Amino acid sequence: MGTCRVSVVFWQILVDGFAVSSLYALGAMGFALIFGVSGVLNLSHGALMVVAVVAAWAAGNDLHDDPYTGALIGIGAGFVATMITYFVIVGPLQRTQKIREEEKEIFILTGTLLWGIMIQEFIAYLYTNNAKTVAPIVNGVMSIVGVRTPKNELFTAIVCWLVIGGLWLLVNRTRAGKAVLAASMNPRGVTLLGIELSRIYIAIWAIYGLLVGVAGVLLGMFLGVSSYSVGPLTASAFSIVVLGGLGSVSGALIAAYVVGYLETITAYLISPAYRTIPALLLLIVVMYLRPRGFLGRR
Amino acid sequence: MRLSSTIRILLVGLVVVALASFLPFAVSGYVLGLLTIAYYFGVFAMAWDLLFGFAGEVNFGPTFLIGTGAYTAGILDNLYQPPIWLCVVAGTLAAVAGGVILALPALRVRGPYFGLTTLVAVLMLQNYVVVDASLTGGEIGLTVPDVITISDAKNYELALWFMAFSAAILFSLSRSPVGLILQASGQDAVQAGALGFNVTKHKLFAFIVSALFSGLAGALMVFYLGSASVGTFIDITVGVQIIIAAVLGGRRTILGGVLGAVFIIAMAEALRPIGDLANFVVFTMALVVVLLFPSGFFGLLTRTKEGG
Amino acid sequence: MTETAHLQVSGLSKRFGGLIAVKDMSFNVEAGKIVGLIGPNGSGKSTVMKLIMGIERPDGGSVRIDGTEVAGWPSHKIARMGAGIVFQHSRPLHRQTVLENITLALLPDKLTKLLTDPETDAKARAIAARVGLTAVLDRRPATLPFADLRKIEIAKAIARDPKVLLIDEPFAGLTSAETAAFSDLICELRDDGRAVLLVDHNVKSVSRLVDRVLAMYVGERIAEGTADEVMRDETVRRVYLGGSIETAARPESSFRDSKTPFLEVDNLNVHYGKAQALENVSIHVHAGEFVSVVGLNGAGKTTLFNAISGLLRYGGDIRREGTTLRGQSAAMIARNGIVQSPEGRELFVDMTVRENLDMGGQHLSPEEAGKQITWLFDLFPILRERQKQNAGTLSGGEQQMLTIARALMMKPKLLILDEPTLGLAPVILEQISKALERLRQTTPITVLLGEQNVTFALPHADRVYVLEHARIVWEGSPDRFAAEMGTGYL
Repeated sequence: MGTCRVSVVFWQILVDGFAVSSLYALGAMGFALIFGVSGVLNLSHGALMVVAVVAAWAAGNDLHDDPYTGALIGIGAGFVATMITYFVIVGPLQRTQKIREEEKEIFILTGTLLWGIMIQEFIAYLYTNNAKTVAPIVNGVMSIVGVRTPKNELFTAIVCWLVIGGLWLLVNRTRAGKAVLAASMNPRGVTLLGIELSRIYIAIWAIYGLLVGVAGVLLGMFLGVSSYSVGPLTASAFSIVVLGGLGSVSGALIAAYVVGYLETITAYLISPAYRTIPALLLLIVVMYLRPRGFLGRR
Repeated sequence: MRLSSTIRILLVGLVVVALASFLPFAVSGYVLGLLTIAYYFGVFAMAWDLLFGFAGEVNFGPTFLIGTGAYTAGILDNLYQPPIWLCVVAGTLAAVAGGVILALPALRVRGPYFGLTTLVAVLMLQNYVVVDASLTGGEIGLTVPDVITISDAKNYELALWFMAFSAAILFSLSRSPVGLILQASGQDAVQAGALGFNVTKHKLFAFIVSALFSGLAGALMVFYLGSASVGTFIDITVGVQIIIAAVLGGRRTILGGVLGAVFIIAMAEALRPIGDLANFVVFTMALVVVLLFPSGFFGLLTRTKEGG
Repeated sequence: MTETAHLQVSGLSKRFGGLIAVKDMSFNVEAGKIVGLIGPNGSGKSTVMKLIMGIERPDGGSVRIDGTEVAGWPSHKIARMGAGIVFQHSRPLHRQTVLENITLALLPDKLTKLLTDPETDAKARAIAARVGLTAVLDRRPATLPFADLRKIEIAKAIARDPKVLLIDEPFAGLTSAETAAFSDLICELRDDGRAVLLVDHNVKSVSRLVDRVLAMYVGERIAEGTADEVMRDETVRRVYLGGSIETAARPESSFRDSKTPFLEVDNLNVHYGKAQALENVSIHVHAGEFVSVVGLNGAGKTTLFNAISGLLRYGGDIRREGTTLRGQSAAMIARNGIVQSPEGRELFVDMTVRENLDMGGQHLSPEEAGKQITWLFDLFPILRERQKQNAGTLSGGEQQMLTIARALMMKPKLLILDEPTLGLAPVILEQISKALERLRQTTPITVLLGEQNVTFALPHADRVYVLEHARIVWEGSPDRFAAEMGTGYL
């Protein structure tokens, strides 16, 4: 009996952790992409995801739309909010001449942080601080290796991997994707070959917007969020990207699974209340011992 | 010349503070209460500016230091009820210890990495407070049995003169030779080292001073409010408000932090009729300032003076 | 002699990953002497300076200041032992006055120093007077001309009263009058009994001042002696000038577009902050012509090319076939056929050779790109062998060929080659040289080449410009170069 229970918990952690980790990977992917190509750390990341969730939730609630339309509206809202972030805040700060080059990083950090909190406040004003859950597209429960798993969890993992795979193909197998990859290695080299960097930036922010939208909507179906989630969501994407090594997409993937499983294990074996603590501790340890992360180059 | 200008600014400040100390005769207890909070926030912002503006360290977690000070003082009072001053001293010391811990990664890692460590430090503290509810009061908050005084006017005077005292010290420090070295270390550590300055030592000093004032102000504020909660002392939003106050007032000016803090509290109050949207509007204004006038109120003042 | 040497360096070595930046360097600088440390870009001279100052940690060897071993110490301790440095780029405190910037350097490394005393103030004023900053004491650095910013750096170094003073590119960006004043200042510092090490690109700029010169190339010492001896040294001449030169110039009148040349650069002025990088530079290139711009590192070649490529703001005008390029983005200029093979190579290091070339062929149809690649593989056969390898794993010479090939994938009308020989071995130079000759013989391409290596620059050239201290100082055919410019060039 005892061993049986242990093995059930083991499989439960394995299955649950996989879904959570895939979601984290997807969430952090766009964040890593933006940093890798343009060196921007977007501290409004969590807020943009929350916008997608709340829009999908509101569409489902107020408009009584079917889950598919709701999800599309959520993705659209995440996309629009992301593009606003670029065109109103990040872009102008990158181009302004009022700020010294070496100070721009801190201004972009402050600007996006402020923007994130504005979004948080606005959502709290419109829809209160209560947690919102998006109606899942697939319902029901199925059994995987003896673990009763909501089908939605499986759906989340599959969509995450489809999107990540799609992104990989886009970057590695298309001309435009190659240009993005090249820009992340050497923006000046790309300019000298006649490719407009400004268009690459717009393209990656657009991709980022879609990723944020999809990740947000899936998160809303899976866990649910409130306006309070803005900070922790940003911090988790930031932590994953730093753990993996700033600028390394494969590092971020590995880190997403490390963090996802660490959290799931903690939640199951200790208490859900301590869920985020071990990952934060790990992050601090890594920063002390190996500041460039798992696969970081610098 | 520099010395005399420092003294002149301090004298002007003293006059303003002296005038402000007559406010209890003129305004209601409610307004005094708002200003009391604003003054403590002003100290938070000035302490942050010393670290960022002078030592060049991007600290996204000023509330780690403040919260450590506030909660240590509050918990101590809650458990043993020693004299209040003892709680305040203990809180301050705890914050200084926190500052040293925070400084360790800062002296190893650069830029965004350090910014992240500070964010993580805040989240860790927040998690701890929520989880260890029997000691900290958790999400409900911690009620402190003692307060320094229940008189609005006395609380106001205490906050005012504490703020003035902190401002005088931090401002003089920023303009002293030590402040000059600190600024050189923050701006270009390689060059500062080549000039014979131990950059590590000076930055650690900045962390300690910043933590000292943050912790002291946090502990005093607990005994003004009579309670401590994550929402008032630790939450990232609180940290962002402090940063906004310092940036609005003008980075690297120290005194700008007080202006910014009073402005934010006053705006939030003025916007009270629009309800929950008030915070949103304040943050929007801050973002506009960051985008259009990156040097802040004080920056605008000094720029016009330099132009002439 | 060696007992009195303030600075003794022996066996100093430093690696960066696989690259040996400094290899077994040994030299002394005695009190009251000025020693010049010269070498082309990438020769390791700046690294030597950083190793002495403790900004980089040496991997091996010894650095003694007044007999005390300081290798591996942190920078601030070495500074306190009596070493001072004048950085090439001045980075003063912007919000402080000139006086405060100098005062900073006079402060002790203590946390207890809370008030400036009158003595320190008087000292700072005296130093300011000595370097000629008295008139601007209360101004902020942002409002000062470039030469004054350099004076602030010197003043800061003097304030520490160093026994050993390292000066990086002392005269970069200064006018000749300013250079003279600066030289006098450096001589005074020597006469105080300090040991001075000047680090610069070539002998000529420091020859008037130095007692001895050390020449470095690829991390190693290649010559040492008086300025004259080093200038006559065979190895040094080979590094800077190469061997004998054969030229094959076509006269300018033979190009059909002699009225409106393909590219005209008209009174170009470029500033980096306060420093003037180009001053009234005018050049032109005819369609099909091969023009070389010869000049030492720091003369302004890269700046000129980056201005043409639209990467910089500039004063004056740049025209292509009579139409101004102003207002076109850098990418547009490249797409329209003015393509640069940059000095820093700017390769995509984690992509393969083939992928790098494909990036250059983005604007071509697949068939066109395929044809172009085949042609380039014939021009640089080694790239065909390496096509599946990551660009970052190539040798320096292969990377250079890839850079040129990638630019050629754009089917340029005008190819700008910036320092293709930088840091390369002679064998590789020959290969690249042959490829260029084939390019010139078999295609109608127009080339603008920037070089410090004259042997490489002259044989292909139809016309030569010499760029020196931000100005064009000579223009003519390559066969006249040796007679008119050759000797003054080292």
